[in-house]
Amino acid sequence: MLNRTADNVARATPEPLARRVRGISDKGLAWLFISPTILLLLAINIFPLFWAIYLSFTNFRANRPNEVVKNLGLANYKRILTDQDIWIAMQTTAHFVFWTILLQTVIGFTLAWLIDRKFRGHAFWTTIILVPMMLSPAVVGNFWRFLYEPQIGLFSYVISFVTGIPPTNVQMLSNVDLAPWSIIIVDTWMWTPYVMLICLAGLRSIPEYIYEAAEVDRASNWRQFWSITLPMALPFIMLAVLFRGIENFKMFDMVNLLTGGGPGSTTEVASITLKRQAFESWRTGYSSAFAIILFVAVFGLANIYVKALNKVKQR
Amino acid sequence: MADVHIKGVSKSFGETVAVDNLDLQIKDGEFVVLLGPTGAGKTTTLRLVAGLERPDSGTIHIAGRDATVLSPAERDTAFVFQQYSLYPHLSVFDNLAFPLRSPARKLSEDAVRRRVEEVARLVRIHHKLDNRSTKLSGGEMQRVAIGRALVRKPSIYLMDEPLSSLDAKLRADLRLELKRIQSELGATMLYVTHDQIEAMTMADRIGILSEGELVQIGTPRAIYSEPANLHVAARLGQPAINLLPAGLLPDGGAPTGTRTIGARTEHLSIEKAANGHGDGVVDWVEHLGDQNHLHVTVGPKKLVTLTDPDTPLERGDLVTIRYRMPLYFGSDGQRLT
Repeated sequence: MLNRTADNVARATPEPLARRVRGISDKGLAWLFISPTILLLLAINIFPLFWAIYLSFTNFRANRPNEVVKNLGLANYKRILTDQDIWIAMQTTAHFVFWTILLQTVIGFTLAWLIDRKFRGHAFWTTIILVPMMLSPAVVGNFWRFLYEPQIGLFSYVISFVTGIPPTNVQMLSNVDLAPWSIIIVDTWMWTPYVMLICLAGLRSIPEYIYEAAEVDRASNWRQFWSITLPMALPFIMLAVLFRGIENFKMFDMVNLLTGGGPGSTTEVASITLKRQAFESWRTGYSSAFAIILFVAVFGLANIYVKALNKVKQR
Repeated sequence: MADVHIKGVSKSFGETVAVDNLDLQIKDGEFVVLLGPTGAGKTTTLRLVAGLERPDSGTIHIAGRDATVLSPAERDTAFVFQQYSLYPHLSVFDNLAFPLRSPARKLSEDAVRRRVEEVARLVRIHHKLDNRSTKLSGGEMQRVAIGRALVRKPSIYLMDEPLSSLDAKLRADLRLELKRIQSELGATMLYVTHDQIEAMTMADRIGILSEGELVQIGTPRAIYSEPANLHVAARLGQPAINLLPAGLLPDGGAPTGTRTIGARTEHLSIEKAANGHGDGVVDWVEHLGDQNHLHVTVGPKKLVTLTDPDTPLERGDLVTIRYRMPLYFGSDGQRLT
């Protein structure tokens, strides 16, 4: 009786699919399932990467596909690394990355610290602060173009209201000195909430009893901040800096929408140069080499940074 | 070191009354242990003394000074938390030195080093001074936490179940060490635990807390042998005291009004029934190695006592049970004398 029940159960249980689809092992089946993703990844990620590496050694131009492609060796790389304009673009990028990270980290951490005081309505304010981050960059770009508008822009109006300079003179996007800052302001406005969120996670991870112990140990609020809050939130702050750093190194959308690299080339960050070389001058091989250089630079810097981050985390 | 006087202190969290009109005086150099189950208000009492909570009513005097509204820093207490509240990014040395480096103290770095090393030796952690505090075992972390309290010479040491997260062996070691350190330093200490062995072995006086009220306070001996009521009696003794209704067994000397009789091992004489007519039946004998527990059914009740390792009693034996000066409790749960 018991045996028959067991037999029935055994018969009712479906055989593993692998055994029914003859000739396919479990492993084979697993590959079958992930192959669409892998193929897609190969087609739109891995192949273009290697293709770009190949192109970077040639004089290929995408608008003249029938021309004979010549292998130039390292000539493209040599030209880029000695090109004064490229270095200026890199400097613009570095300048931009430095100021956005500095502002976003300082403001973001301060906001997180304030929100962590858990005052009345802190949840409401957290939500409000997070709104810019949830918008699409395209929307943000267009909408700040209006705000910066010298004739009708609210931003220019407020500045002129405070400083007394006529609003038509506050040419945020077309003034050589102000244009870089106009982008830094927008990026900070949009992404400070992101930094705040990560910092807040860090602050929330510090257990309350550490502060109580410090209080009993007669540490002042100032000392508690420097010897507990900051060191314990540091890995989180560094993580936020890493994310924002990588992101801003390749910043394109906001710059393209707001100034398009202008006036002149004052806001021409590396990615804008890249776009101009690739799709306005059609120097495909040359811009591929530039892209590879940028990639290696970001990758290298990020790696060094992650090492430092791990060291901090292990303390 | 200083004396601490808690007068009529109450503290509620929302609807819950954590501490209810508590009066407690701790003399200079005294080791007082508060014993009670979870939620009895022990930790809240400590936090009130430390200044981490403000009382709703009542006053707290430390060294004769009214400290009721002072901040934790101004009270100058030292607190050992139940969790290892070490500063995780600092080394053992820096953890121990943390309270000494308070700007309020102005100690030279040399003096700090000397003091830290002295205390590290006291809690036997001096060989790990350069370690990161996160790289220590649980016992070592708690030693550092205790050491961090000891580097200072505060008015009072407050300890919140500092040994509860340690394993049994380490707990026994640290228990002895703490008592040794306390008596060497002549420290005033308020210590909270739910472990009766810690209370019995370390305390000069034990305070029994129940639902925010101090039920009884006295020397371990007094608390053990003269409990004020059923609650206190039930907290001490291993195995726990047997509470039997009056009249279940012959109780010649019981005062009038006795409702319940409390009998620990030393209050019972149990012998094999001579004529096949006993008061109870042996359920089983539990061999724990160092001691044996004897489980006996008496009418509707079961009782547990200690017995000799070589006891002749076996499961199913009829036994005669007599009281030897047990504890008598009235219908309100108070002990009768």
